[in-house]
Amino acid sequence: MAERLSLQGVSYSYPLPGKGEVPALRDVTLAIEPGEVMCVAGSNGSGKSTLARICAGIVTADGGVLEYGGVAIEGRKALRSLRFSVGLLFQSPEDQLFADTVERDIAFGPRNRGTKGDDLDRVVKESAEHVGLDLELLQRSPFSLSGGEKRRVALAGVLAMEPEVLVLDEPFIGLDHEGREKLKDSLRRYRESRGASMLIVSHDLADAWPLADRFALLAGGELRALESKEELLESGSDLAELGMALPQWGELAKMLSEAGHPATDVSDPSSLAEAAAAMLEANRGRR
Amino acid sequence: MTLPAAENGSIECRDLSYRYPGASVDALHSIDLTFEQGRLYSLLGRNGSGKSTLAMCLSGLLLPSRGSVTSVGYDTRDESGEDDTDIRGRLGIVFQDPDTQMVAMSVEEEVAFGPENLGLKRDTIRSRVESVLDRVGIEELRTRQPLRLSQGQKQLTAIAGALAMEPSFLISDESTSMLDHASRSRIVELFKGLRDEGMGVIHVTHFIGEAVGADHVVVLDAGRVALQGPPAEVLSDPERLVALGLEPLPVTSVAAELKRRGFEVPAGILHGKELLAWLRG
Repeated sequence: MAERLSLQGVSYSYPLPGKGEVPALRDVTLAIEPGEVMCVAGSNGSGKSTLARICAGIVTADGGVLEYGGVAIEGRKALRSLRFSVGLLFQSPEDQLFADTVERDIAFGPRNRGTKGDDLDRVVKESAEHVGLDLELLQRSPFSLSGGEKRRVALAGVLAMEPEVLVLDEPFIGLDHEGREKLKDSLRRYRESRGASMLIVSHDLADAWPLADRFALLAGGELRALESKEELLESGSDLAELGMALPQWGELAKMLSEAGHPATDVSDPSSLAEAAAAMLEANRGRR
Repeated sequence: MTLPAAENGSIECRDLSYRYPGASVDALHSIDLTFEQGRLYSLLGRNGSGKSTLAMCLSGLLLPSRGSVTSVGYDTRDESGEDDTDIRGRLGIVFQDPDTQMVAMSVEEEVAFGPENLGLKRDTIRSRVESVLDRVGIEELRTRQPLRLSQGQKQLTAIAGALAMEPSFLISDESTSMLDHASRSRIVELFKGLRDEGMGVIHVTHFIGEAVGADHVVVLDAGRVALQGPPAEVLSDPERLVALGLEPLPVTSVAAELKRRGFEVPAGILHGKELLAWLRG
């Protein structure tokens, strides 16, 4: 399968006044497949936000190649077209809302792209529905909404551009359990309806755990591992070195698997309970 | 300031209600809670449940609409103004958004800001700053400009600044929300250490995992105390927590599922290792 977005040997350094340059990313190579959800995880300062910005074409790498659909992104024209294909949800995206109604805020991107009339209405409505936003809120001021609602409006604005790749920088921070679950549902719905790929940047693995197909683990600007959930469970001990830990779902799954009773779905309580019940029965049988 | 700890070392809310100006409902409704020094409290609840409002009432930043808050010996409604400095000196507060708390040009100065305002000797201030930078784990950031730090680093700086005041109580309003796992674990351990040294710590959080090590857990819902008690009691009923807008610990969800299947799972299991030990018999 052709890669949708790939980085080859990408590096980037930030200028720090009076102190030269601080390397944020060093020689990172990875590729996201169509429809794949990749979680880019790392501790504070590992370079993950920089990686997100490079993928979204907001920051241009100092070295290496960014490819979209197998074509290297070089020059302003390619960068512009990349920005139409890749949607970026910033950290604290609610700070970016600016229009006087939710509807206008969501419509801003597609309108700039030239979408008009019924098409524009359809895109706005579909995007609002994708994020589970009550259509009655469309005429409200975004500033009158709760934090969780504002973030959904911001996400709807990104989805309205119908991106093939969604880049989300710490999308779960500050949301409570319900807010996080709603966001995960929105992302699942969008992925299913469009076959979109996603790159979720997160400082912990727990929230992205049920969504992610693979985890890219960054430390000190370097890609240290690129693993599936199952591989991560195998090598979980290395996470502490990177300032991270398996979410409790993973820890449980790992313990059960090591005890000889692996679960079929490592983020589902009934699957884990099944494995636990099997272990219990086996131990009882022995006694 | 020498106040007998037994008399003044607590924060008490009696029938506390708070309504924001112009609002039609109470953000807090008839809260009765006592927080003692030498104890670690976790305050949980969904967005809008009243956690931050309660934290601000406890610290005297908001005054009760009804009822009272007596904070380290002072009634927060006392408007004489005489006690304000004492209360501020005895309560360390860390807000959700660290940007609102940064005033200085370097992390070191930022941390020294509070103790300087207490009029302490230079040597005392220096040793306090050294000690908290070390405990919070941000020595290497000392010369950095606070506003140029990452959000997580700013949160750590804000915690260090509050601790440099050596308060009787530390009130942390989601001060760990932007921290990575390593920093978060360090801060949760630090809170336990401060508790052991006699400080009262009130930690407002979304994350149930952070409440496991508390002495007492309070869950707010719609401005009322919905649940409270020791973690093993409050955190082990996943259905109830979901109804209160919280994400239960996976181990409690698995234990509940095993119970549904007819297994007699012991109550109060909050750690994977405990569950595994029981499974092994």
